[in-house]
Amino acid sequence: MGKFKVHQDLRGFLKTLEEEGQLVHITDEVLPEPDIGSAGRAASRMTNGPAVQFDNIKGYGPGYSVVTNVHGSWANHALMMGMPKTATTKEQFEELNRRWDLFPVAPNIVSRDEAPCKENVVEGDDVNLFDLLPLYRINEQDGGFFIGKPATVTADPRDPGNFNKVNVGTYRIQVKGKNRIGMQCLAMHDIAVQLREAEKKNEKLPFAIALGNAPLVTFMASTPIAFDQNEYEFVGALQDGVPADIVKADTSEHLYVPAGSEVILEGYIDPRVRTCEGPFGEFPGSYSGCRSQTEGVITHITYRTNPIFENIYLGMPWTEIDFLMALNTSVPIYKQLHDEGFPEVVAVNAMYTHGFTEIISLKPRYGGHATGAAFKLLSTPHAMPYCHNVILVDDFVDPFDLNQVVWALSTRVRPDKDVKVIQNCAGMPLNPSEEVPGMTAKLIIDATTPVDPEPLKRSVELLRDPAKTAEYAKIIADLQAAL
Amino acid sequence: MKCPRCEFDQISTIAKSPQAGVWEVYQCDQCFYSWRSTEDPKVADVFKLTKEQIDNLQVIPPVPPLEV
Repeated sequence: MGKFKVHQDLRGFLKTLEEEGQLVHITDEVLPEPDIGSAGRAASRMTNGPAVQFDNIKGYGPGYSVVTNVHGSWANHALMMGMPKTATTKEQFEELNRRWDLFPVAPNIVSRDEAPCKENVVEGDDVNLFDLLPLYRINEQDGGFFIGKPATVTADPRDPGNFNKVNVGTYRIQVKGKNRIGMQCLAMHDIAVQLREAEKKNEKLPFAIALGNAPLVTFMASTPIAFDQNEYEFVGALQDGVPADIVKADTSEHLYVPAGSEVILEGYIDPRVRTCEGPFGEFPGSYSGCRSQTEGVITHITYRTNPIFENIYLGMPWTEIDFLMALNTSVPIYKQLHDEGFPEVVAVNAMYTHGFTEIISLKPRYGGHATGAAFKLLSTPHAMPYCHNVILVDDFVDPFDLNQVVWALSTRVRPDKDVKVIQNCAGMPLNPSEEVPGMTAKLIIDATTPVDPEPLKRSVELLRDPAKTAEYAKIIADLQAAL
Repeated sequence: MKCPRCEFDQISTIAKSPQAGVWEVYQCDQCFYSWRSTEDPKVADVFKLTKEQIDNLQVIPPVPPLEV
């Protein structure tokens, strides 16, 4: 503990980003549309692009600001973990794996007086989201103004006092009035399980929505973990054992929110109500259509003085969301394979469009073993609906290096034997390739070297690096650096 | 004023700029499309909606049967 810098709020992380040259401020006056979305697009396309903070938004004036692209580069992702901003993707994957095993780390529950998120309160008729947050349209064809980076906290109505079943998740929000919001609760998500129980009894589902959070809170809110695993206990693990600071929500006995968040929206989902929501430019790089989705009512807001509104840009990958959902999708799936029956798995790359395509690196023990790992993957909670395409590569292939993966596809795949398609499986409705949203086929490509008893009729001897390759890599790099 | 998406003619003003008189935000009472007065909303044909389409949108998540 103590080796890595820990951020308990967004403000502290923005300070670190600024010190490291990974945050820029736009101080000229701008209209919310199209400037903020455009900046999010541009920054996430740059190599190691910075967070971008707008400090002068037309119609809002002093004291209001918006920040976007906070997680939108590998440098920012590394700084979120307290690592050097030059840490590679593989190094960050391995460090996340190490910290993952520290779970659970119980959170630190602070008093209301100690929680910065409680500095100010508005409630009842005074609630007005537009007065508090510089809301804006992210992409041109979005149906309204969306909040794309919330950490929404809900409890299980069947067992509301069970902290392990308190869920912290990211579900997109369309603002539909000064105190009304649309929320997307897809059937495969934990919140939909909870909502179903409430709606069976025509009961409201209370929520507390945290905006502008410590970076690892946002990271965990978008990480697929088990229904009865608590996100805050993972935040403590990923903070290398430093507990997350949380505080009880004002209007719900069982909900806890991050103490340092910029804004907390408290209220409830209106039971059995669905209204038109969308479209919204989504992570697959296309707009989701309009659907009839749930509505929530905000009854009570607490916020820090001069709150910073943190939002995300989503567009044609890669954008900020691809960085945010890269390793937090890969690590839990790796754990579910490696720790639950497939210790031969050495790494999982589920970084592409939130795991629509996943690459497993493993050392198969017998013929067909690799295909078995694919079946296991396709039965894990997240991959079962999300993953369409599975690529299996040998243990010596780095799944994060697409040059190596394509080498394996090119030199190991026998199309007549190694390509399998399984019809009529669970899908993810936001994937535009699904003819019926929510249903898909699964593709498995085995690009591993055949293992007995599968016949391997031709001898394949891999090339090895010449003996002094590592030594020369350093010599050449030093010479180049001295130029 | 009509909704740029579904042409419904009942539009609510859901927000006014905190600095008075800079902009307003409008929302359609039927399809919930919203826009700021400083925008010139151009809804692509593929995203335009009729009343019939709005009434028959896919419901997410499905509403469960009531348990009494």
